[in-house]
Amino acid sequence: MITVQQHTAPYTLGSSGEVTPLRVLVVDDHPAVRLGLLQLLDDQPDFDVVDAACTAEEARSLAEREPIDVAVVDYQLGSRSGLWLTRMLKRLEPAPRVVMYSAFSDGPLAAACVVAGADGLVSKRGAGPELCHAIRAVARGQSRLPLVPPTLAGAMRRRLGSDEQAIFGMLLAGIDPDEIATTLGLSAQSLDSRRWAMLHKLEGLRSDPAGAPLTGGRIRRRRLPGC
Amino acid sequence: MNGDSSVPERPERRRYVPLLYRVAAVNALLLVIAVAVTIVVLDSNRASSFRIDAEGAALIIALLLVVAINVYLVRRVVGPVQALTALARRVDLSDHGERMPVADPASEAGELATTFNEMLARLEDERREATGRVLAGQEAERLRIAQELHDQVGQELTAVLLGLARVEARVPTELRDDVGEVQHAVRGSLEEVRQIAIELRPEALDDLGLQSALAVLCERFSERFGLHVKQELGGQLPELSPDAELVVYRVAQEALTNVARHSGAHEAELTLTPEHGLLALTVTDAGTGLPEGHVPGTGMRGMRERATLVGASLTIDGDVVDGGTRVRLEVSTDGRRSLELTGENGR
Repeated sequence: MITVQQHTAPYTLGSSGEVTPLRVLVVDDHPAVRLGLLQLLDDQPDFDVVDAACTAEEARSLAEREPIDVAVVDYQLGSRSGLWLTRMLKRLEPAPRVVMYSAFSDGPLAAACVVAGADGLVSKRGAGPELCHAIRAVARGQSRLPLVPPTLAGAMRRRLGSDEQAIFGMLLAGIDPDEIATTLGLSAQSLDSRRWAMLHKLEGLRSDPAGAPLTGGRIRRRRLPGC
Repeated sequence: MNGDSSVPERPERRRYVPLLYRVAAVNALLLVIAVAVTIVVLDSNRASSFRIDAEGAALIIALLLVVAINVYLVRRVVGPVQALTALARRVDLSDHGERMPVADPASEAGELATTFNEMLARLEDERREATGRVLAGQEAERLRIAQELHDQVGQELTAVLLGLARVEARVPTELRDDVGEVQHAVRGSLEEVRQIAIELRPEALDDLGLQSALAVLCERFSERFGLHVKQELGGQLPELSPDAELVVYRVAQEALTNVARHSGAHEAELTLTPEHGLLALTVTDAGTGLPEGHVPGTGMRGMRERATLVGASLTIDGDVVDGGTRVRLEVSTDGRRSLELTGENGR
């Protein structure tokens, strides 16, 4: 049986030396799940839930206004996916850590998370202690992404262009994006735009003419009322 | 007996004298009467008595000859009708292309055969359309149920799980085990809902393409049934229409399900190989093979229907070298047809 570990170890130290709780942002479009997450995470003494957003856009503007340590993001967010939000959050300075959670914590999504730059992926079965652990782990700079099976990685790689395949391989190997850009002689911006392009190919999601927003989800869903 | 109860779909056929014999008999009777009348007339006109031996023999031989020619001619006319009856009885609309040979188009028999062939073509088209509509409806319905399961049931269960995690942290220690059990049950249900949704709708296919979707499918079989699937997913494959991709995926899914459930094998091999002008999917196992006189189940029959719709062919070999079963699907990569099987348009 798993019990909630009442963590009190300091993650970030304030100037006065006392423990600063992790600033967490919850993003989910389902009201009951959002509330459940909010309450569960708020109960943890080392977390401070800054806010709860129900759309990717709302989450993005919230994160722009207030500094966030960790964003807990549902993969399926109606009109835009959690992967889109992850890319957007990772543009911020300083970029928050991102834990994606989804009913599908399988190989394809893990690979997409790697490309998008998420730090963790938790199955909804692990909604509870596992999610709390993952939030703490990514806050410490660890990665909590499941492994992508080699055959699947191979099949997914075939959908990409040759330079994208190199980036995909290096990202899967856990190499730091800055290092990848240096190795391949790319600017940070062009690496970023390639990651967008790869996400489109790997997710099969549609983009608007501007190219940026990823829409939909694996099972394309309706927008829920009240969100 | 005609009314054999083992063939319930065919009503009892009444016995009748075939048209050939009836026409031949009537003609022969007329000829006999004609000959008899001739003899009587000749007999009364002549003083000398009729020489039964010589003239009679000649007349009878002539009579037999005429009857034989008559039978031959009538058989030529009636033959196509009988062939048509036989074809109409055995024709299988899901197995396209069987037609009546038209010997002479400028004749009644030829016209009948041509009209019959046109009717067959029309029936086949209508059937294909109807099957396409049914399958598209089925896919749309599956998509809808998968979405409902995911959006409603799955989300509610997640919320319950989150609530339980909170409760667990607050209840006295002696109740924690009980809460843990409930959590375990909810987790199990959530997993089940996810599995059902995935089986209903190959979501990886929509997003990642055929090869990745098949890789995910194989992983899932090993995870769920302990069936190790050796995959050979080819290199660069020719692009298929979404309908054809869905058919390939569903056939692989059905074949692997059969391997997991019936073959007794713990290993299977799935290959996807481009061959000139077509893409071949094979699923082979080293299990017990198909029993003697095996009748394909509804699953495989459905697969065959789907295959026919996209112009693909499905063969099942129940006795490959090592005793197992091999399912092979060949999809033509040129001459695509769109039948909106994917169900996305049916919504």
